Amino acid sequence: MIQFFDVSKYYGEEIALKNVTFSVKKGELFYVTGSSGAGKTTLLKLIYRAERPDEGRVLVADWDVGKLKQRTIPYLRRNTGVVFQDFRLLFNRTVSENIALALRIHGMHPEEIKEDVAEVLKDVGLKHKAHSFPQHLSGGEQQRIVIARAMVSRPTVLLADEPTGNLDPDTSSTIMKLFREINARGTTVVIATHNSGLFSGTGCRLIQLEAGEVITEGEG
Amino acid sequence: MSIFLYSFQTAIKNLWCEKWINILTMLTIAVGLLILGTFVLITLNMNSSLKRWSKGFGLVVYLEENLSSDKADFLKEYFQKDSEVVDIKYISKEAALKELKQTLGTTTQILEGFEENPLPSSFELKLKREVLDPVRIKQKAIQIEKLSGVEDVQYGEKWLSSLNTMTMGMKIIVVLLGSVIFVAIAFSTYSTIKILFYRRIAEIETLKLLGATRAFIRFPFLLEGIFIGTLGGVVGFLGLSVIYYFTTAKIIEFMPLVGGTIIFFPPETYLAAPVAGAVMSLIGSFFAIGKIRY
Repeated sequence: MIQFFDVSKYYGEEIALKNVTFSVKKGELFYVTGSSGAGKTTLLKLIYRAERPDEGRVLVADWDVGKLKQRTIPYLRRNTGVVFQDFRLLFNRTVSENIALALRIHGMHPEEIKEDVAEVLKDVGLKHKAHSFPQHLSGGEQQRIVIARAMVSRPTVLLADEPTGNLDPDTSSTIMKLFREINARGTTVVIATHNSGLFSGTGCRLIQLEAGEVITEGEG
Repeated sequence: MSIFLYSFQTAIKNLWCEKWINILTMLTIAVGLLILGTFVLITLNMNSSLKRWSKGFGLVVYLEENLSSDKADFLKEYFQKDSEVVDIKYISKEAALKELKQTLGTTTQILEGFEENPLPSSFELKLKREVLDPVRIKQKAIQIEKLSGVEDVQYGEKWLSSLNTMTMGMKIIVVLLGSVIFVAIAFSTYSTIKILFYRRIAEIETLKLLGATRAFIRFPFLLEGIFIGTLGGVVGFLGLSVIYYFTTAKIIEFMPLVGGTIIFFPPETYLAAPVAGAVMSLIGSFFAIGKIRY
């Protein structure tokens, strides 16, 4: 589903990623780990084409990400749900409007949008918060809204950047359970995290980055 | 359809959220179109006066003294064959004198010194409207003057030329002013949409990351520009209508005959101001958004 072939990315003189090669199978739950600044976020950005590789190739499904034309990028992103580290929720819209936006972008009919939003809010356990504004929710609730928004359009790949970064252990556990459920439905999930507790003992495949290079490839 | 609905809802919502800057832009457009509309209206009225006056415009062909009736008939036949002449009126020496006496009224004694009727017989020619151009009329007058039996040809040359020059001048002013105002409208909307675009930059970035196409991001802004321009056009037009009705009412009060001849835009052009505002604002908005890159 996702393949990196000798991918390097530079920000000026600084090396963000160097000769990274790995692959993620369809329907897999995959972890990218490493300390802060190791290159995890850059790696995810390369998958949804927020960045372009300077060297090597990135393949996502049938897309050669580095060669994508500007007008094709939105279609890659529609197939790639992203749980952003900084949430990227719109604070002038309600929870349901935030989630509906992803479906509006897909050009879905308002009636269908209403049904799908209600369903996904039920899945993340926040149906009662549909008309609240994001700033009135806790960090864990906001995180679940972001997951709901990423999932509502049923993407083939779900990327999560430090999804439990600022959350307490109980909430983190709820969020991770949610990811496992999503993965169980057949969605390929890639989680970037510095928290080894999230993947220890799961048996899931992972890569560990350090200074932009893959130093370990194994299982959790 | 869904994207259009979304764009429409978003544009309305944003218009309301940023109402003060939008109202200010809309008023700027309204004032611009009101000024332009005033100049167009003045030009229309000048044109209308020119046309109205032209209906009564004619050449007076004075005939030589003691011209035989055969020659006079020949000239009449000549003018009748001329396709540019729409009406011919023969005024005999006697009729001319009678008319002069009527005009002079109680001061007819100034004619007492003349033993004979000093006035020549003449033809009054009404010309087609298309010919009422100073250069063509002058050519026509010279051509007629050369005819045998014609003593002189007179027409309101200076008056026609002045009015024509003034109308032409006004048309040029309208075109120049129109161009300046159209650019100003586009620039005004450009600035507003640019500000609004940057205020929503975080939202736009999120939309891009969620897979929004360029059209999806652009449409609400373009619609916003169209709304502002259209409203500006409507307000400008209403303002001009109010000014027109108050002004004509005042003119009628003091000059009843002149007041009745002042015209307003024909109903079929009422949409011109909103459409002009919308089109120029759309252009301004389009350039304000610029190229969206992922």
